[in-house]
Amino acid sequence: MPRKASMREYILRRVIYAIFIAWGVFTLTFFLLRIGPSSPADKYLATLVAKGENVEELIAAVEARQGLDKPLYIQYLDYINSLLHGDWGWSFSTSMPVMELIKIHWKYSFQLILLSMLFAVFLGILIGVYSAVKQYTKADYIATFFSFIGISIPNFWLGIMLILVFSVKLGVFKTYYDTSLPMFSLANLKALVLPVITLGTGSMAAYTRYVRASTLENLRKDFVRTARAKGLPDRVVIGKHVLRNAMLPVVTIIMFDLSGVVFGGAYLTEIIFGIPGLGQISFNAIFADDYGVVVAVTLIGALVTLFFNLITDIAYTYLDPRIRYE
Amino acid sequence: MNRLVKYYWKRTMRSRLAAFGLVYIIILVIVAIFGPFFTGDPNAVNFAEKNLPPVGFSIEHSVYDIKSGEFTTVVVKGSLKHPLGTDDKGRDLLAMLVSGARVSLYVGILATGLALIIGSVIGVTSAYFGGVVDNALMRFTDIMMTFPFFLLLVLIVFIFGPSLNLIIVVIGLTGWTGTARMVRSEALSLRTREFIQALIVLGSSNKRIIFRHLIPNVLSIIIVTATISIPGVILAEAALSFIGLGDPSVASWGRILNAGQDSLDTTWWVAVEPGILLFLTVLAFNFLGDGLRDAFDPTK
Repeated sequence: MPRKASMREYILRRVIYAIFIAWGVFTLTFFLLRIGPSSPADKYLATLVAKGENVEELIAAVEARQGLDKPLYIQYLDYINSLLHGDWGWSFSTSMPVMELIKIHWKYSFQLILLSMLFAVFLGILIGVYSAVKQYTKADYIATFFSFIGISIPNFWLGIMLILVFSVKLGVFKTYYDTSLPMFSLANLKALVLPVITLGTGSMAAYTRYVRASTLENLRKDFVRTARAKGLPDRVVIGKHVLRNAMLPVVTIIMFDLSGVVFGGAYLTEIIFGIPGLGQISFNAIFADDYGVVVAVTLIGALVTLFFNLITDIAYTYLDPRIRYE
Repeated sequence: MNRLVKYYWKRTMRSRLAAFGLVYIIILVIVAIFGPFFTGDPNAVNFAEKNLPPVGFSIEHSVYDIKSGEFTTVVVKGSLKHPLGTDDKGRDLLAMLVSGARVSLYVGILATGLALIIGSVIGVTSAYFGGVVDNALMRFTDIMMTFPFFLLLVLIVFIFGPSLNLIIVVIGLTGWTGTARMVRSEALSLRTREFIQALIVLGSSNKRIIFRHLIPNVLSIIIVTATISIPGVILAEAALSFIGLGDPSVASWGRILNAGQDSLDTTWWVAVEPGILLFLTVLAFNFLGDGLRDAFDPTK
């Protein structure tokens, strides 16, 4: 067992480090948005010119209201200050506080990502272990072949092909996600089938390969031979001895992959299927110069990633007592 | 040929899939370079020949006849003149896809090259100097790794306008983190080896040790990383074009896909064909990367 004091110290250090990284991500986003040539006030401009108002004055008023007339470092510090006080700013393209907007939309991203990860992890482990146990059989070759395909298939194209086959040609599913469906219903689950396959396939294929490699490595270990020699049934040897050891590196891969799923895959999947999640709203926000939303979604994504990294680090020390934390 | 190159070449070609990947990539490069001279102008609009299916396929069009005032069904067959069909403006898909291959490879190779240079220099510098330099560089790498890459790409391309070169620079400037980490850990283990120690004792300059001795020794990792990174970059560009942020002046695979997405029920091939090419290209690079990794792995 790890010593209690150093464990606490280790976790504390990881938390502080995560806060530092989150600050770095925020800072980068903030300055990136400010060096851009377009100002949030530009959107007002076009409509106001059309009305024949005094544009110069109005720009100044809008910028003053949003604090954009202050020096950059004051804006930066103000922003951090309000973030720390739970004020995530105002989204003027949707006319509501950014936090409200996120409260409405996060569920759609969450259900999509959760179901996709469950799909990917469950099938990835199942196929990976089976493939390793049956190494060099036909089943193994087929699994390996399909995992290569799964890794290589562009997920946005897969999404379109699924729509083409199952929605357009066969008419089994709707081409668009229906937002009026209640969250916990079979109809909603059915509506998520294609998006989940679209988002989950790449990850599932990748996990299959890692699980297979990791399982193969452990199958050769001495403790497996010992377990077999003791006369333990295959089910126990593989399900308990091998799987537990094989899962360690896989956990890291899954956690590492998660940020890619959240940001690359979910983003595109939401756009293809019209799911109004965080990806969709940040996408719209970018086109509307609604920077408060962009900063918030970026930061939330980074925080989720950091949180899972932290959990992985901590879980590791419990899963593998050999790991020392310094 | 260098003896070492020959040795690794042989080991890589042991894998049939890697060989297939290499052949595909070579063909694609040749097509991308010379193809556009044969296929004609990808932007040539010809409404008389719009929505033609690929050769061997046929679709039914409903045509309104002005004289009789009735709808008649016309069967349109694909012809050899446009073997892969045409889009809704009558542009030849073969010509578009060939010029798209050029775009994809251009982006993939240049952006990966840029990312590899940055990543290798940061990784090696970090490992070689250690201490504060290492700490600062690796913390910066961590921040960049946590940064939502695709969101950043969308953001920058939107702010500064979609141009192919900007996309390359942004992918290059953000995509180096994995390489930096891997090169660092490899260089760290090299640093303690005798020949590097000897060079330090002999008074070689830092620059010389890094560029003449450390980088060549981590080259195998760099080659594998390059092969595995290229498809990711190609996909990133395709995804950007797919959501409407591609360079409007070039026909990239992602842009064709984007256009085809809206007419899936009629002209399905416009979305299917660029996707198949994207998929095969990514697959080929993955096969080759896998073969190279095995070839460079002395335990196999």
